[in-house]
Amino acid sequence: MIWTVWQVNLRRLLHNPMELLLTFIVPITFFSIFAIIFGGGVGIGSTPKIKVIAVDQWESDLSKALVDDLVENPGLRFMRSPSESKYTTDEAKELVRRGSVGMALLVQKDGDRVAVELLTDSSDQVAAQVVTAIVTQAIVEAEIKQHQPIRFAATEIPAGAAGPQPVSSARDESVRVVDVIGEGKSNPVVSMYAAGIAVMFLLFGATGGGGALLEERENQTLERLLSTQLSMDQLLLGKWFYMTAIGTLQMLIMFAWAQLVFGVDLIGHLDGFLIMTLVTALAASAFGLLLATACRTRGQLSGISVVLVLTMSALGGSMVPRYVMSESLQQYGLCTFNAWALDGFDKVFWRELPVEALAPQLAVLLISGIVMLLAARLLAIRWEMD
Amino acid sequence: METCFVVCIHQVTQAQHFTDEILTSAVSEPPVLELRDVEKSFGSLHALNRVSFSLRGGEAIALLGPNGAGKTTLIRCICGLTRLDRGTMYVLGNPIEGDGMRRTLGLVPQEIALYGDLSTKENLYAFARFNGLSRRAARERVRWALKWTGLEQRASDLVGYFSGGMKRRVNLACGVMHSPQVLLLDEPTVGVDPQSRERIFEMLAELRKEGTTILLTTHQLDEAEKQSDRILILDHGRIIADGSKSQLVEQSVGASRLVRIRVDRPLTGPLRLRNHLSETPVGRVGTDIVTTRIDDVSQHLSELLHSVRQNGYDVSDVEVHAPSLQHVFLHLTGNELRDD
Repeated sequence: MIWTVWQVNLRRLLHNPMELLLTFIVPITFFSIFAIIFGGGVGIGSTPKIKVIAVDQWESDLSKALVDDLVENPGLRFMRSPSESKYTTDEAKELVRRGSVGMALLVQKDGDRVAVELLTDSSDQVAAQVVTAIVTQAIVEAEIKQHQPIRFAATEIPAGAAGPQPVSSARDESVRVVDVIGEGKSNPVVSMYAAGIAVMFLLFGATGGGGALLEERENQTLERLLSTQLSMDQLLLGKWFYMTAIGTLQMLIMFAWAQLVFGVDLIGHLDGFLIMTLVTALAASAFGLLLATACRTRGQLSGISVVLVLTMSALGGSMVPRYVMSESLQQYGLCTFNAWALDGFDKVFWRELPVEALAPQLAVLLISGIVMLLAARLLAIRWEMD
Repeated sequence: METCFVVCIHQVTQAQHFTDEILTSAVSEPPVLELRDVEKSFGSLHALNRVSFSLRGGEAIALLGPNGAGKTTLIRCICGLTRLDRGTMYVLGNPIEGDGMRRTLGLVPQEIALYGDLSTKENLYAFARFNGLSRRAARERVRWALKWTGLEQRASDLVGYFSGGMKRRVNLACGVMHSPQVLLLDEPTVGVDPQSRERIFEMLAELRKEGTTILLTTHQLDEAEKQSDRILILDHGRIIADGSKSQLVEQSVGASRLVRIRVDRPLTGPLRLRNHLSETPVGRVGTDIVTTRIDDVSQHLSELLHSVRQNGYDVSDVEVHAPSLQHVFLHLTGNELRDD
């Protein structure tokens, strides 16, 4: 019976080109758009640079040395004035206000020391933190270079000897951004969006699958099915397995595309990917069935599911990474299905942790999936008998 | 209201042949389906109130009733989709709740309860499997059903693109894939053209030849009259009439016939007939139609015509109308609208 329910649903899908398109092609398209926008282009494998300008208000040797250091920093991209003249403070403020640059650095005199004022756009909190760190390090290095070269010369260490490196040799690497996770990998944003979009569409697909149950109820097919030897248990299980299989296939196609076009290493993480995908699809399918059995009509389901899925996707990190959110929002995000799924995929693709490390995510998703399925079964009792 | 049927020649219907066979062969066997004092309420509404009746093997019963009378609730109770408050139901002498008892039932709902995005063959196969047939048996039954419905050429076409009549035939076939002994049909011909109705009735006649018992709910009174051996009328959750059409007529409106006579010229005054034909003068001055009722056509019709001639008029045409099922139905259930 369960297999027959499975077959019926699969055949219905295969007879609907539009539904096939929505299930498999639209998620890939969305993911590709997000990956290109936020990943810096197809096949890009480097951390994005922050666009800045510098205004040297002191114009001393020290300030010039600092600016020169910052220009060399690979984490920053300095914009030049179109007129080749130097930017004024007002021009710098205006450029930040208009969003033409992410930040302006005002290099100023502070007694006999150099100080830098950062003009930032507070909507980009990450950039402000990164640039603050880079500039702080650059100031220290510039001051050492200007005021204590003799000390380093006096303590010059012979070539090949172990010990601290002199500033002159260390300076080239002093502000190098060292990425301890992403070395040699594709852009983290790509794998994050592959998982984020896939999970979001998995939820949309699951609520659509649940809608099929309401359609059967509305046109009395459900009643007819229940007058046969098919039980509600078998019907729900058949739909659950079918939706899980389609969801798994949907994610597999999405990540295969991500590997082919954006360089996400699917083959290298196949075990973790498959177990995360299977459990995520099981939980998403149960969520779809729960929503369907809780609603009275397909219209109601459609409205509720759009609001719920979009809210969960926003809070859970499918649209923007959770690490850019405040602590409290990150905590709220853990109430969503997406957050646990994305944390799991993050462990698989980005942190490259073993499958055992997925235990918390798998446990939460599996338990919530089973609870939602049981709740759906209880709600469906009202359809079995008046 | 001209709703009567002209019955100058009484037709012996196919249904009556079946009735005779059933009465002689199956009267000693237990009913295929029996309901005893079945009750169901929804809040203060008594949807079914001590409903009792039985169906013999091969019998066809039409269940009539105004909207909201309880017909669909009754079908749902029999199928196990609605829980009874009180009463018992038996299939082949066994309680209907017994293991596998409901497998002897087949349901054809009023709606087209099919998958529009599956082909005819796929729908038939799916419902055969849902009704417990093995893969091989299901494939064989699908071949039979395609032939039975006359849709062999459309086996691979999606049902969603079919005409109403074709969908109805597939809808019917999906209810009999497991060869049920009792087929419950909830208005099986709603919204179909006369040709499709005829085809559906031919299909049902084939099933009856194979011994399937049929319980049919309908608002089409002519359909009920032609396609059933017995008629049940349900109103306000109660069975208010149970019998053949002639029995219902006898018990309700009586067996008198309406006679309409056209004379050769407009009447100059009301006609006086013999007392046993009509105690009061009949006919309206200025018209050429005389209408009256007679109890026995064979005896009184010739006397009536003779009496008209004695009044100085020639008879140019005669119509004799038997009481219709519609008369019976309205007589028993009243003329008020039932807005459910």
